Order: sequence, then C-alpha cells, then structure tokens
Amino acid sequence: MPGHMIATVEGRPIPDAPDLPRMRRERMARLQEQLSAQGLDGLVLLWPSAVSYATGAHSPGADSGRAGLFRPVAVVVAGDAMPHLFTPYPEGAPADLSADHLHAPAFPDLDEGAAAFALALAELVPTGRIAIDELPHPLRRALAGRDLVSAASVMVPVKLRKTADELACIRTAQRFNELAMCDVMPLLRPGVRQSELTAVFLDRLYELGDVSNGIDPIWQPMPASLAVGPWTTHGDVAFPTGSTGQILRHGDVIWCDTGIHYEGYASDFGRTWIVGADPTPRQQVQYRRWQEVVDTVLAMCKPGVTALDLVRAAIAVNGGTKPWIEHFYLSHAVGTDSAEMPLIGTDLGEAFDEQQVLAPGMILVLEPVIWEDGYGGFRAEDIYAITDEGWVSLSDFPYDPFTREDVA
Amino acid sequence: MSGLLAQQESDRVDMTALRADRRGRLFAQMAAHGFDALILGRPADITFASGARQLWTSGARPFGPGCIVVAETGQVHLLSVWDEGIPPEIGHDSLFGLKWNPANLLGEIGAIPGLKAVKRVGTDSYGPGFEQFLAAVAPDAELFDAVPALTAARQSKSAAEIALIERAVAVAEASLTAMEDVAEPGATERDLLRAYLAASSRLGCTTPPTEGVVCATPRSGPVTLRRLPSDRLLGPGQLVALSPSALYAGYEGGVGRTIAIEGASSRAERLAARCRDALDAVIDRCRVGGRGADLRVDGADVLVHGLGLGAEPPVIGGHAGADAVLVGDMVLAVQAWVTEEGTGGVLLRDVVHLVDGTPRVLSRYGSTL
Repeated sequence: MPGHMIATVEGRPIPDAPDLPRMRRERMARLQEQLSAQGLDGLVLLWPSAVSYATGAHSPGADSGRAGLFRPVAVVVAGDAMPHLFTPYPEGAPADLSADHLHAPAFPDLDEGAAAFALALAELVPTGRIAIDELPHPLRRALAGRDLVSAASVMVPVKLRKTADELACIRTAQRFNELAMCDVMPLLRPGVRQSELTAVFLDRLYELGDVSNGIDPIWQPMPASLAVGPWTTHGDVAFPTGSTGQILRHGDVIWCDTGIHYEGYASDFGRTWIVGADPTPRQQVQYRRWQEVVDTVLAMCKPGVTALDLVRAAIAVNGGTKPWIEHFYLSHAVGTDSAEMPLIGTDLGEAFDEQQVLAPGMILVLEPVIWEDGYGGFRAEDIYAITDEGWVSLSDFPYDPFTREDVA
Repeated sequence: MSGLLAQQESDRVDMTALRADRRGRLFAQMAAHGFDALILGRPADITFASGARQLWTSGARPFGPGCIVVAETGQVHLLSVWDEGIPPEIGHDSLFGLKWNPANLLGEIGAIPGLKAVKRVGTDSYGPGFEQFLAAVAPDAELFDAVPALTAARQSKSAAEIALIERAVAVAEASLTAMEDVAEPGATERDLLRAYLAASSRLGCTTPPTEGVVCATPRSGPVTLRRLPSDRLLGPGQLVALSPSALYAGYEGGVGRTIAIEGASSRAERLAARCRDALDAVIDRCRVGGRGADLRVDGADVLVHGLGLGAEPPVIGGHAGADAVLVGDMVLAVQAWVTEEGTGGVLLRDVVHLVDGTPRVLSRYGSTL
C-alpha cells in the first residue's frame, strides 16, 4: 500500500525516470518469447500503438488519414534481438537501432508500396507463419499466399503486465497531463469556450515536454437528467460526445477527459468540474459516493484477486446498481493504447471477468460514474498499478471543488 | 463550425446539401462497382458516408466496422452510442452501440436491415479474422477492396468541399502568422509548435492534421527534413521550415513557408528562390490528365499528395506515384524542399485545385524570405 513501503513490481521499484533502452530490450524479450511459444516466424505491425511497443520509435501526432498513409511499420523476426522499422520519420528511431534495421517508409496502404514491402518482408522472413495486426487491401494482395494469423495473440499478453520502466512512462505521461490541466482549471468561468480550454491545454502541454496529444480534449457539460438528451442506444449517459466551440455557462457540470502520450505511453485524466460555482450539498454527496466506490475497490486490489471480485464489490457498495456507464467499464488499462486489457466490467460478462486475475504490473484506470437522474452526476478517473504487495497510484491530482468532508 | 460571429444569414456552405451530394456520389460508385454493402472503418471514409462528428484521436485507427452502407435500403448505419453530432438524416434506428463482446456486436450488426442477403461487400481495410465476422453477418457475401470505389467518390471535390478546404487553408495561414510571431533567437521548435496548436484551437480547429510542422535547419553539415519538433533553439540567420495545417469540418488545408531568424543571407535568398522556382514549375504541371511522373523537377525533393477529408492518395514523390493520374477537381498539397550545406534548407508547400487549364492555388501567404 502507498505511504509506508516502496512499491515494487516483480521486486523492482518504479524508477523516477524510465530506463528506455532497458524498457525496449525487455519488451523485445517478451515479443520473442511469444513468437517462440506460438511457433511464429515473424510479426508485422501497422497499428501505431503496436509499432511504438515493438520499436520505441516516435512519430508526429497526426490525423488518422495522414497517419495511415504515412505510417511507420515494424517487423519483428523470430530470434532477432532488434526490430526492423520502416518509417517516414527516421529521426524518431531510437539511437540504438542499428542502421541495417532502419528502412525507408513502407506505404502498405498503396499498391506499389505494399508490393515493395512484401519483397522486403520476404528477405527478412522468407518462410513460415507471420502474425499481423492489419492488412490494408494492397498489402493483403501483396502478401497473398503467405501464412498469416492475427497479431492479437502476441500483443495482448505482452502488454498485459507492465515493467517498472513502462509504469514510469505512464506516471510521467500522467504528470505532464495533470500539470497542463492545472493551467486550464482557473479558466473555467462563465463564457469560456471549449476551444479556448483546449488552446491553453495544448500550449502548456507542449511546453512541458516531449509529448503528443492523444485525443481532442473533452469538456462536456452534463445534463441534469437523461431526458434532456442526447438520446442514446442504451438509455444510459452519453459520454464522451466530443467538444465544439461551445460557450460554457455558470453552474455547468463539466466532465473533462484528456489523454496524452509520453514515449508512446498514454495518460488518462478525468475529473468533474463546475463552472463558476461551488458544488451543492447533493453534488458533494455524489462525489463522496464515487470516492467510496474507488476506496472499496482499492482496498481489495492485490495480486490474485479477480476482476469479478472488484465488479461485485463496486456494485455492492453502490447499493446494487452498476456504478459505471453501460458502454464502458469499471476499469480499463492504459499502455501504448489508451484503452487496453484488462477491461473490467464490460459486456464480455462475469465469466470473462472471473478469469482476469490481478497481477503485478497490471494497470487499473478506475472510472466509476455516479449518476442521479434529475441531479446529474460525478465522474473522475485515476490510474493505479498493481504491485507485488497491493497497488500504487500513478495519478496525483485533487478533486477540487469536491471534498471528502464538509468544509467548516 | 465555430466562428466567432453569429450572423443571421446562412453560412456559405450548405452542409445538408454537401452531405446529400457526398451520399449520392458514394451510392453511385457502389452501383458502378457492384457493391451491395460497404463496411467502413477509416474515420475519413465514415465522415464521407455519414457526415457524423466523430471523436478525434491521434494516429491511424485500427480497422473495425464503424459504418455500414447498404445499397438496397439506401441507409447509412453508424457506430454511435448517441445522436449528438449525428446528422438528422441518420435516424436512431440506424445507430448501433459500442460493444466489447464480439457476440454482442454481431447481434447489433446482424440486425441491420438488408445486410444478411448481400452478395458483394467492400471494405476500406482488412484484418485477420474479418472473414469470420463477415460470414456471421452476411453468410453469402464475398469480400472486395472498396478503396477504388471510395477514391472515385472522394477524389474530385464539389464546390462546397473546395470552400471548406479554403477555410482550412485560412486557419493554417493564421497558424503560420502565430508561429512567425514567436520565431526569435532562443525560442525552440516546440515553442513554434505550441503557437500553431494554440492559434488553430482558438479558431475552433483543435485537431491538427499533423504536429510535424517545424524544422530548424542546420547552418553547417548535411541538411535533412525532420518532422518531429524538438527542443532545438532557433539561432540568428537560421532557416526554419514551417508547415502548419488545419482541419475544418473534416477538410484539410495547409501552407508551408520557410523563415530566416533575424534576416536571410543572400545565399539563403538564392536557395529560397530556387525552391520557389521548383515549386512553381511543379504546380504548373498539376494538370487534369497529367501523371505523377510529370511532377518531378531537378534540384528539389517534391512531395505531392491529395487533400480532402485529411491526407488522401495519390502520394507522389521520389519514385512513388509515377503512374498516379491527376483528375479534375482534385486538391493536392504540393511541397518542394531544397537544401545547401552551409546554408540550410527551404521548404515551400501550397494547396492546388486542379481545374481545366491553369491550376488554382488556394493557399496564399506571400514570401517569407
């Protein structure tokens, strides 16, 4: 538990700063272990989060269309201690990636690029079975005849339990995200536009460090009751609906949600704020119920506990009602993806949650939601890591203007 | 989208008509390519088909069913839990919710009217295991590449789409002004990136097409174009390439110019002139019916790509895209990059609309060197 002992993951304390070369070596060892165990001869990765995991390479943040057209691609060859990186951004390759593993960009979404990449892959992995995460049609044609399987069987297990260095990256990402939000909070007055909050957030964020924004920041005014809308497919709360240039007004209850990347690792910041007003006693009670759910879940968090145990405890302490939004979860993880396994409390169901057993290095982003129809609700989220003995928080941000106790 | 004025007259772009036009083009291409249904996962394709405001995330999105278009019913079905930001022509019946359990997703998509009977399905990407998904929702369907049909529908822009691209260009030009304002000795590349993101956000465009917009070029040794802004300090006499972009109602515009910190040397001016001549030569060859191979020029690295709902094919540069065909009402980002050891590098980028005769340059910023 925090406060009275140093939190360790598999005997190693979380360092203040990640040892990036060590982190890359350990991730590659895990990838190789899976390739070997699953009888795979190679791994081809097109998804940004997977390329980041396998190579540690940086790319500029970009819109999905451009990011796809000009995408970095990683190839992991069984038995090779270093990944191959095909990238339009060679300046983003780690310094210790040897020159013969750094290649010109692949363009697998275009016919001539895919054909050239297939030839390069034939040199690197001449025969055998290859795991791959996506096949744009040109690449699908170019690799016709090769033995291809889904990369999920490799990527999900390697990412499930973070190393101490990965946890340091997540904590650093969260710290930068939180510091940028410190500059946003004072601006939350009647008349401010959502886009102005985003401008200040991004300006401060990129001043703080070598980071990249992950999502269009969400500053969503919540209705008091579901009947006000928006309409939803399941009748539950609509969140996150995305920002516009909307002007925020006195008393608006804002659910904010931002996320950034540091060395490929995602942060996740969520709080409830109120524009130009203090919370009402009723709103304070909502917060305290949220805190009670979080406290109850954290009190159980340690290796060996199942996700189903957490789900049941959260529902019980909330009086038998599920304290999260229908289309989401009690908890998800972050890593090089902003939502990854373990996902706890989803529609995958109780049997799925029961076989998810907490282990050191797993991430829980607890995001319960307390909704009181007619009176709105409270939502916040924080990142926790499961340690050898229990858990440690990777977030450090107050819940202002909400408090655990009444202010005298 | 979120301009600062609130006028009584309507906007110059009728978004309802624009969406209807896009749907018409999409269904026409589906018919021409014999598709009974499309299953789309790329955000830009989903925007083209639906006009929905989607939550923007950075980076390429993994392929999955986000939008399903059925020819027989003429309906566009969308993965969206809510109706906020969904155009009124897409009714509640056409929205399906977010599911983590594939069985539940199959249940939702399997219930889409007309889908079960389709024979020819096109997708905009593919992943291992997708056949099993398709077999479950459309047992008789055969899978095809929908990208040629989508490209045919998307590549030639309507007048309204051009107007939106011009607005995006205007926002990018505003960002360039903001970047110039903070470009002084002691500022870092990232300071200029901050100015770009803040200026663009204040104009309502909070989702940058790319962060790769600042490159301070070295005054000695080899010169390469970097697209990852860093902590490098800008120094007097240094040439700094700036290339901001913006997305406006989904459409991308941009502009690229190079500035000299505290004045340009005569060598820098000559390099800039070389770059301008190269870019002008390439722009002049952006003609309807032309080919990618036509867009090469000696002494400059040229990169040309399509613009619309973000960056689009074709991609032309080096040996790539030589066979790409230029069609009318395409919009292209045309970039030239020249370097000289001891001086630095100059980048220029303009946005060009392909019309009959002389190409129309949509970006206008004047010379910065």
